Amino acid sequence: MKNIWRKGATAVAGAAVLAMAATGCSPAAENNTNNKSGSAATVTVRLWDEQVQKAYDASFKEFESQNPGITVKTTLEPYNTYFDKLRTDVSGGNADDIFWISGSYFAPYADNSNLLQIGSEFDGEKSGWVPAAVDQYTRNAKLWGVPQLTDGGIAVYYNKAMLAKAGVDPANLSWDPTDPSRDTFLKAAQKLTLDANGKSADDPAFDKDHIVQYGYNASQDLQAIYYNFIGSNGGAFQDGEKFVFASEKSAQAFQYIVDLINKYHVSPGAADTNDNGDFLRDAFIQGKVAMFQSGTYNLKNVADGAKFDWAVAPIPAGPEGRVSVVNNIVAAGNAKTKNADATVKVLKWLGSADGSKFIGAEGAAVPAVTGAQSSYQQFWQGKNIDAGQFAKAAEGKTVSAPIGSNYSAAFNAWKPIFNEIFLGRTPVKEGLQQAQDAANKAMGQ
Amino acid sequence: MAGKLVRREAGIGYLLLAPSLFGILAFLVFPILVVIWLSVNSWDLLSPAKFVGLENFADVFSDTAFRGSLLVTLLFVLMVIPLQTVLGLFCATLLSRALPGSGLFRVVYVVPWICAPLALGVVWKWIFAPTGGALNAMLGGQTAWLSDPVLALPAVASVSIWSQVGYVTLFFMAGLAAIPMQLVDAARVDGANAWQTFWQVKLPLLRPTMFFVLVTGVISSFQAFDTIYALTPNGGPRGSTDVIATRIYGEAFQTFNLGRASVMALVLFVVLVAVTLAQQFYFRKRITYDLA
Repeated sequence: MKNIWRKGATAVAGAAVLAMAATGCSPAAENNTNNKSGSAATVTVRLWDEQVQKAYDASFKEFESQNPGITVKTTLEPYNTYFDKLRTDVSGGNADDIFWISGSYFAPYADNSNLLQIGSEFDGEKSGWVPAAVDQYTRNAKLWGVPQLTDGGIAVYYNKAMLAKAGVDPANLSWDPTDPSRDTFLKAAQKLTLDANGKSADDPAFDKDHIVQYGYNASQDLQAIYYNFIGSNGGAFQDGEKFVFASEKSAQAFQYIVDLINKYHVSPGAADTNDNGDFLRDAFIQGKVAMFQSGTYNLKNVADGAKFDWAVAPIPAGPEGRVSVVNNIVAAGNAKTKNADATVKVLKWLGSADGSKFIGAEGAAVPAVTGAQSSYQQFWQGKNIDAGQFAKAAEGKTVSAPIGSNYSAAFNAWKPIFNEIFLGRTPVKEGLQQAQDAANKAMGQ
Repeated sequence: MAGKLVRREAGIGYLLLAPSLFGILAFLVFPILVVIWLSVNSWDLLSPAKFVGLENFADVFSDTAFRGSLLVTLLFVLMVIPLQTVLGLFCATLLSRALPGSGLFRVVYVVPWICAPLALGVVWKWIFAPTGGALNAMLGGQTAWLSDPVLALPAVASVSIWSQVGYVTLFFMAGLAAIPMQLVDAARVDGANAWQTFWQVKLPLLRPTMFFVLVTGVISSFQAFDTIYALTPNGGPRGSTDVIATRIYGEAFQTFNLGRASVMALVLFVVLVAVTLAQQFYFRKRITYDLA
């Protein structure tokens, strides 16, 4: 998934950005046909999800038939470096007219007037948007994007045959970092982890060096794993924009996850997963992992890839119950667009049920426009898959994705330290404190 | 009259130079000036740039991670340059013998060099993968080649060497082909064996090639980025592969501190100029270009 074509990091790096700005070499600039009079215009839309891109292309086809003179083109940028590239492109005037943005990254763009404000011209559409998405992208009492996707909550995909064979019921598993007697989740994960001789991880004869099936996908995954464990243990990752993940409850949650990997061996080692976010999803699809905790963003991948019977269960409950992370994605307008009128028209289309229904129609993702959500449910019901588990998680206790004016710098400050923690080379408490200090320093806290 | 002619010729000269002069100004001089300007400013790409004087320089020079990065870069260069030079020379000597199949091997050796480094990085990442990786499948075990602070740098250096050897071989082959046969024959008549001929006749005559290969090799190793970034993002385990180019990238495009990144780029520039001058100084009196 890595965007690997770009070579930055040379002496010309800064100049390239400026040169782009100076020459107006940008999709927005290229489309400078000023649409105020309603003449022909091309609006470009940047996103990172291939499945949704297909849905968008279908949606824009209909939009174009209703709006002669406006052409809409989509561009796909891989997620791993999406936000690194977006920032350089926005700075150099090279960004698309409309681009996706996520909750953790939108703040500096809003603060520096890089985004079109979603104002009163959207009043007709606003009432149909998921309220949590509107809240997430409201900063200084202004809304900065048109809600597109709502991830729902997090749940556990599981391999039915593996769980049936091990006698594990995934519906009511619970974990507890301080009281092993209340922990049914670890025992289940151990039963589901098998070595080459068929011994499970709770068997004294278990050979940890020749594991052929893992029970669970414990890993350094913010949205799917550690944010939920922290929340379910009553901890917090952030207080406002300040990072507080080294606090006692959060540290207990991290210790529990790291132990799943390095002490109990019910999840693959972090050397495989730290820098490869797709490793565990692929392993689940290949039948090498029994329980795969993730979100709706992987539903279509799993449905298309898994050649075995699978289903979805709730995440394991912690001492504070099940607390799931929720996140929403918006389409933001580029404040420097040369096609402001056409851009607003496309944004309004994306914010309408008619425009958004395509997102759900092929099961790509849950639309954040409530009137379009039925298409998503219908698609999965048609395939005999109950996607309601994710919605249920979102209706329970939830925690929002992290946010910050300098989130990217903070993430890059804690990531190498988290790598060491998950590899088991740095003690959890000590590492979390280092990572927290580094993240807060980078965030300017 | 003569002065007018000279002026006219000079004018035509400048006109003919104009296209390449524009290239140098736009893509070399201008970016360098911008980097110098950025180095005395604080800029995150979105907020307006703010003049901070020499603050970025003080920050970077007191940054232990940056010093570590310089050390990692030096280690990387020391691993890569001697090995790729010796291997390149060895391969060139073998391929120059025009044995059957050597034409095919000439092509095979150069293939890694003409491939996109980032694509190679992705392929090698799979080869080095602890689970399901080709190398561990061959050797057995689950060695975490790219996650172990001791193994990561040699691993990425070996990929760099593998991809560069073909390029170095090409130049040494050209150098060997340019050595007049009568010098080699004379050495043989004087009783020199193959090793003595290579060591005392061919190698000294290869100095111009050696100079070129070392200068370009050292510069590209100091600037190595693509493969290392693809194999070990975020500077590798405990910063063990955090070479200066990946640090500049992270500082500029992940942390968005363009001022600090520019200072680092200037340091890299100064280091490279110094190393190149030192190499030039060393080779100046030891090179013979006229082999006739």
